[in-house]
Amino acid sequence: MAFVPSFSIVYESFRLAVGSLRSNKLRTMLTLLGIIVGVTAVIAVVTIINGLDSTVADAFSAQGSTAFSVSKRPLVITSREDFIRFNKRKDVTEQDAEALGRLCDTCWRVGTSINGTGLVKYGENRAENASVRGLSLEMFDIENVSLQAGRLWTDQEGRSGRPLCVVGTDIVDNLFEGRSPYSVIGQEIRIDGIPFTISAVAEPFGKVLGFSRDNFVYVPFEAGQRMFGSRDSIVIHVQVRDSALFETAKDDVRSIMRNRRKKEFSDKDDGFSIDSQDAFIGIYQNATSGIYFATIGVAVISLVVGGIVVMNIMLVSVTERTKEIGLRKAVGAKQSDILLQFMIESVTVTMVGGAIGVFTGYGLAYLLSFVLGFPLLISPSSAFLGVTVSFVVGMISGSYPAWSASRLSPIDAMRNE
Amino acid sequence: MENIDTNGNGLSHPYNSLIKMRGIWKTYQMGNEQLHALRDVSFDVRRGEYLAIIGPSGSGKSTLMNLIGCLDTPTKGEYWINGEQVAKMTDDELARIRNKEIGFVFQTFNLLARATALHNVELPLIYAGIGSSERHEKAVDALKSVELGDRVTHRPNELSGGQRQRVAIARALVNHPSILLADEPTGALDTHTSAEIMNLFEKLHEEGNTIIVVTHETEVAERAHRIISIRDGEIEKDEKTR
Ligand SMILES: Nc1ncnc2c1ncn2[C@@H]1O[C@H](COP(=O)(O)OP(=O)(O)OP(=O)(O)O)[C@@H](O)[C@H]1O
Ligand SMILES: [Mg+2]
Repeated sequence: MAFVPSFSIVYESFRLAVGSLRSNKLRTMLTLLGIIVGVTAVIAVVTIINGLDSTVADAFSAQGSTAFSVSKRPLVITSREDFIRFNKRKDVTEQDAEALGRLCDTCWRVGTSINGTGLVKYGENRAENASVRGLSLEMFDIENVSLQAGRLWTDQEGRSGRPLCVVGTDIVDNLFEGRSPYSVIGQEIRIDGIPFTISAVAEPFGKVLGFSRDNFVYVPFEAGQRMFGSRDSIVIHVQVRDSALFETAKDDVRSIMRNRRKKEFSDKDDGFSIDSQDAFIGIYQNATSGIYFATIGVAVISLVVGGIVVMNIMLVSVTERTKEIGLRKAVGAKQSDILLQFMIESVTVTMVGGAIGVFTGYGLAYLLSFVLGFPLLISPSSAFLGVTVSFVVGMISGSYPAWSASRLSPIDAMRNE
Repeated sequence: MENIDTNGNGLSHPYNSLIKMRGIWKTYQMGNEQLHALRDVSFDVRRGEYLAIIGPSGSGKSTLMNLIGCLDTPTKGEYWINGEQVAKMTDDELARIRNKEIGFVFQTFNLLARATALHNVELPLIYAGIGSSERHEKAVDALKSVELGDRVTHRPNELSGGQRQRVAIARALVNHPSILLADEPTGALDTHTSAEIMNLFEKLHEEGNTIIVVTHETEVAERAHRIISIRDGEIEKDEKTR
């Protein structure tokens, strides 16, 4: 027999639930706590990781999954022994880049960079720890750098060693407080004491995980080589036209480079490292999935504990209201009506807890996004998840108390004074 | 004695019995001792009867009322209401009978302490699934009929004992039950209000309702048309008075 409660019974149950929750605020608060903690954890983590995912995706898609780099040392080194071993490798050179440009059919763009940091000054104003990179012209395409003011140096200017540079917006902010990008074109700044003329200002890249990516000065590759050349190996950047060719291009580059280094087939070490964002994305995904599972663990534990607390409180509530239950049955409440009343009460507590948890979760995510500088992506689905989870907890932990209430006989219940 | 013919007019044919009890026992186990609150009680009540149950305190009157009202189950014996055996009814059927057929005025009122008089009276209507505006109207009417029209928003602790009793009566009447069971309905009332309530019962009886009243007071018992006396859980006397 289908059980369809009338609206008046549902409404009465809801009214009762609210009344009984309001009449015992401290108890209600404690009951809510477990649920709030659980749902807060779920919501905060889902929201934060959504935000991180989107910044990380944005940051990496500048390069797309079509580019990789060839360098002496891998981007991620985990031990000192590795560092020493990688340092013994031959430097990656411009000749390698030239060979790749010539021999690798699947490579669309081949660029070179030489990377370091330096002290950038304009008069007395200084920008410390700026990233200083010498870039070949291809690099501006490969890394998707766009200019908001000024122009890039020409191939001719680059080769002839003209001291021109492209600066990031942080440099403009730090060295020329309050001046517009246009007004700084043609100004002379010093990088580690060497004068360079600003020929362009790049569009900002924004922040990733709180770190600005606009504190840079790009100079022509040749000029960079003059500054760092003696100190370090260069990095070759390769871009394919279509991401489908990505792996093939990597293999082509690997065999060309091994050839140039006269590596035997049996030699395990290439003598150079090929890196792409996949490596970062892998590390990132490992880290976030760890956080994910840890938080889900915390959430599940607090929801289970919260559920047990709710069940306990509901049992107390049923015991306290034995007389009331008896009276309701005496005037015609069915077992299902009493069951419904206590289920609604239990679900109301957990849903209120869930709703609060959704808000505190978003609040927590907001704080963290503010501190770490990633966008706050509030997804309605996480709110839905939080509320659904608390609904389910309410159903589960309310069912036994509600069932035992519904089974009380009217006379036993009413005698209970 | 299969059919107790109390008035000799032949109307006590089994199919006319609204209430039919046969060999009813209610026994409480108190430690090692057995306490028989009711012993082998048998009687019939026809539709439209006005019956008083009298007897000394502790004789089993409330126990019997609880059984008639389907709130309790006998230890032994059989009970039919409207020709249906109560022991065989499902919980939902019992709930329906308590809701629609029976109005119960409890000896200890049994009002919801936190609810207003109005809400207390509305309670049976809620479980009858009646919508809020009709419910409100009916509950107010019932409260007016016990002269509490100006006390609808009062809670039980804001009412006098007699007013509480009248709220309990209003609640019993609000769903227009065919059987009104009242356990000491005038116990807490002054003679004037008591007379009002008795007039109300008489009116309900004239409208064809069946009324069973437990009482100590001879004036109340004398308004009934039949009196059952109970002593030590047994029917001592069952006589028609009008
Ligand atoms: N739940 C119970 N457990 C044990 N004994 C009970 C229980 N309920 C009632 N009794 C006993 O059954 C007997 C009859 O009780 P009942 O309440 O029916 O008396 P009553 O006739 O209504 O008395 P009063 O006029 O004082 O209301 C009493 O002796 C009482 O102690
Ligand atoms: Mg009694």
